[in-house]
Amino acid sequence: MGLWMSRLLSMFGDKEARILVLGLDNAGKTTILYRLQVGEVVATIPTIGFNVETVTYKNIKFQVWDLGGQTSIRPYWRCYYPNTQAIIYVVDSSDTERISTSRDEFHAILEEDELKNALILVYANKQDVAGALSEAQVAEGLGLSDIKSRDWSIFKTSAIKGEGLFEGLDWLSNMLKNRR
Amino acid sequence: MSDSKYFATTKKGEIHEFKEDLRSLDRSKKKEAVKKVIAAMTVGKDVSMLFPDVVNCMQTDDLELKKLVYLYLINYAKTQPDLAIMGVNTFVKDSQDPNPLIRALAVRTMGCIRVDKITEYLCDPLQRCLKDDDPYVRKTAAVCVAKLYDINSELVEDRGFLDILKDLLADSNPMVVANAVAALSEIHEVSGKDVFQITSNSLFKLLRALNECTEWGQVFILDSLAAYQAKDSKDAESIVERVSPRLQHANCAVVLSAVKVIMKQLDLIQDDALVRQLQKKMAPPLVTLLSAEPEIQYVALRNINLIVQKAPQILSHEVKVFFCKYNDPIYVKMEKLEIMIRLASDKNIDQVLLEFKEYATEVDVDFVRRAVRAIGRCAVSIEKAAERCINVLLELIQTKVNYVVQEAIIVIKDIFRRYPNRYESIIATLCENLDTLDEPEAKASMIWIIGEYAERIDNADELLEQFLETFPEETALVQLQLVTAAVKLFLKKPTEKPQQMIQLVLTYATQETDNPDLRDRAYIYWRLLSTDPDAAKEVVLAEKPVIMDNTTSLEPSLLTLLLGQLGNLASVYHKPPEAFVTRSRMAVQRAEDLAPASFEEEGPISAGASEAMPGPVAGPEVQSHQPDLLGDLLDVGEPTPPAPVAPTPTPPQPTARPPAPPTSNGNLQELLGGLDINAGAPPPAPVAPQQAGQADPFGSPAVRQDQAGGSSLRQLLTADRGKGLSIFGTVARVGGQPVYQLRFQNETAQPLDGFMIQFNKNTFGLAPANQAVNVGVIGPRSSGSASVPLVQNPAMVSPAQAPPTLQVAIRNNQLGVAYFNDSLPLPAILVEDGKIEGSVFVGSWKSLPEANEVTQQLPINIGSLESVRARLAAANLFVMAHKQVAQTNEEVLYITGKAATVDTPTQLLLEVRYSKAIPGIKAFTKSTRPDLAPFVFEALPALLT
Repeated sequence: MGLWMSRLLSMFGDKEARILVLGLDNAGKTTILYRLQVGEVVATIPTIGFNVETVTYKNIKFQVWDLGGQTSIRPYWRCYYPNTQAIIYVVDSSDTERISTSRDEFHAILEEDELKNALILVYANKQDVAGALSEAQVAEGLGLSDIKSRDWSIFKTSAIKGEGLFEGLDWLSNMLKNRR
Repeated sequence: MSDSKYFATTKKGEIHEFKEDLRSLDRSKKKEAVKKVIAAMTVGKDVSMLFPDVVNCMQTDDLELKKLVYLYLINYAKTQPDLAIMGVNTFVKDSQDPNPLIRALAVRTMGCIRVDKITEYLCDPLQRCLKDDDPYVRKTAAVCVAKLYDINSELVEDRGFLDILKDLLADSNPMVVANAVAALSEIHEVSGKDVFQITSNSLFKLLRALNECTEWGQVFILDSLAAYQAKDSKDAESIVERVSPRLQHANCAVVLSAVKVIMKQLDLIQDDALVRQLQKKMAPPLVTLLSAEPEIQYVALRNINLIVQKAPQILSHEVKVFFCKYNDPIYVKMEKLEIMIRLASDKNIDQVLLEFKEYATEVDVDFVRRAVRAIGRCAVSIEKAAERCINVLLELIQTKVNYVVQEAIIVIKDIFRRYPNRYESIIATLCENLDTLDEPEAKASMIWIIGEYAERIDNADELLEQFLETFPEETALVQLQLVTAAVKLFLKKPTEKPQQMIQLVLTYATQETDNPDLRDRAYIYWRLLSTDPDAAKEVVLAEKPVIMDNTTSLEPSLLTLLLGQLGNLASVYHKPPEAFVTRSRMAVQRAEDLAPASFEEEGPISAGASEAMPGPVAGPEVQSHQPDLLGDLLDVGEPTPPAPVAPTPTPPQPTARPPAPPTSNGNLQELLGGLDINAGAPPPAPVAPQQAGQADPFGSPAVRQDQAGGSSLRQLLTADRGKGLSIFGTVARVGGQPVYQLRFQNETAQPLDGFMIQFNKNTFGLAPANQAVNVGVIGPRSSGSASVPLVQNPAMVSPAQAPPTLQVAIRNNQLGVAYFNDSLPLPAILVEDGKIEGSVFVGSWKSLPEANEVTQQLPINIGSLESVRARLAAANLFVMAHKQVAQTNEEVLYITGKAATVDTPTQLLLEVRYSKAIPGIKAFTKSTRPDLAPFVFEALPALLT
């Protein structure tokens, strides 16, 4: 019976997944993290370092690491790559000037050996800002169409309004469940 | 196949295991891993490569895990300064945690991480925590400011943390106040800036917090109160009133700090009754300190030593407390002895002497010696007890214990010095023990006694002779005393035996010994005796000043300083803190800041001096006329010798000399007296009428010494040319200033007055600062001396081709104007700070053109290097290096000096080549002013031979 119970638990009980939230500074990573965790918009300051929170969604326990996006901190992202199941890459859709910088960072991440099996979820954030790039424009700006051999998806989101975030998580949880 | 397989290992090792566990999602496994890492760190294994993994465990609500991670961070942040930045966000979050313990923990840890890169990120959390609602957080943050100040003082000042700290002095929580005080005091001390001033307003708040905070908080507050300067007696009284309950505290540090505050304020309190009452109050707590462990006793004793130096009355009735117990450690015993001596008075001396006598029979030799010495010191300081002390010492001498006897003789010598002609009856007893003396100090003391009382000891000469047998083997101390004693004996009993003795001693001391002190002293006596035995008597047998027992007392200023440091290490060392701790880099920076400032200061001073130069000398008209006038007169009058007048040996100018300051050291006194006579005495050219037995050779060393001595005046104008006025003079440098030293000899039958002086233009631009010569009226057949201060005036610089002489005109009311020529000695304008670096010397020598080099052969022989060096230095010329050139068998001296030529000073570079085999020297000089070379070559013979 013990064996049966544990199998049952693993079927219905929480799965755990390690997720990194990356992106340039001021993309909205920390706001997204706390929107997902507590469902509210919290006042944030630039993250010098990291935040880590656990978000339970659809029976999956996401251990979400939000890393600071400052240039000085980006080199240390790699310390967090091992054992990562998914990357949430956040783009500030209203920041058209730095989309190419964002693209470079994004492709550097894709090249990483330790992340070759990680799922890629892109949030085209700040859709609430007037003049923000559309989902397709962001996808083009990041060069998403070049990605051939891995699972990715892009969602338009607004962390302030709370739109699009959970749709992205839905996709993520489905993909993760299918993988098991 | 490559060899890499040897390096590939299947075993991943401990570190890898840690890494795996740290990344584990399982909490307990993670915590276990962190514990293992900390354990490894504690035993000294390098686990710094786990830094990112450990930092990732930082964000947790498990307080235990958090503390462990923080511990790791404090340890390794310095080695991983870049990665440390990843922890910042967590600190920021933790400093806003609802749990005050976590907030305080975060701010405390932040202060301990000394990484520049993250310091600025920590300011915001710190600012928040300083204004936290919870006192625990505030008090932790207060200390953190002091830590931050050490890392980055500017940041603290810019962010206004100091003001916040000052606000915290008024905090409702006493612990916060205490920590704010501690932080401010530390910043105050480290920065040297005046950041912490207690005002009458904050004083009240501190006094209120004093009663409620923890013991160490009390120490901080008391220490800061000790630095507070009370306004008046009333103010001081109120402070003392609030502080005095602290005397009853169980913590020694609190007690000592309270004593410190009270000692400081006592000076200001005018109510004598209150002062006495307070002093009475301080005694019991101090006595209580002596019941603690020996280590604490020692600290207490060192502090009490300071206190009784200032105010012995505090413990004057407690001397019994300081009696040594048989099982006290030796360091405690020694300190107790010191304090017993200080507390001894004619009321308790019997008790104290009894104790000392007891100690003198103990086994520890050092302690016994100290005890004997203590008896002597009591005798010296308490007149009424001197007799009793002597009796005890005599009793001790009867024990015939070698070291006791020797020590007793040493102190008896001091007692004789203190009370001359009172206890000489015991000399006989001392003489009985002559053979047992084997220590230099005891021997020297005994010899001093024999010499001093030679007239009362019948066989003094025999006794001294005993010591003289081993003269060459004795230590310098004994030898010096033997020389002096022999001289005293000779002066007191000028019979045949002492005469032989003194010749023997002085011959040995001047010719055989290597010790310059001994040799010099012997020379002084020798000269003294050969010149004027009566003067010698007056000098050597002069009445000596009475000594006091202040050998171990501190200077009043140092004592005050140390009393302000009671309870600190300085009060144990009896040294100011600067003497044994170096302040952190702050102090270094300050020193660097100061250095350029001190250079800048020199600028205005020299500028001012040059401005002052065109003094009230003479108008330009006078100057323009003078050359013609002088020229006319020179043509008409007798031909003046173009060369400087040959130096004639004349007595040095007698100058008023203050009597030697009285010192407590009798030997030094004798020596100083001798030196005085030496410098002021006329040269012994005609050796004074001698007594039988004083051989002539004594004179020879003295003559040589005299020539080496200061500048002598040369005759510039003879009486027949000067209508009965002869003038002697020389340009010299006195106190960093050129001065014309003059002596006028009036051979006429009338008094002369109204002396005035004027110079012609000259190479150095020298001119009298004042035309009037301050010599007053010189009576007939008498002489008068004057020093005319000289200044350098650009208008007085002669054209380049002018002769290198100084043309002088002197007039007086009776005889009119007299003209003469004098030489211009270079040393008069050589400044004191002419020394340069060797590299600078070489550099400037190379950079100066060949044409500036002037060479001359001089027919002189170099004297001993040491004396040449000293004479050059006295003339502000500095020997940079001395080199032997093996190939040519030559020796080379490199010399430099700075001449204060008008407008810009000239650095003179000089090379002197000479060889032992060939007489004469070759001098090369190079400078920006080759026209100075003749002056250099003129000055050299007197300095180098």
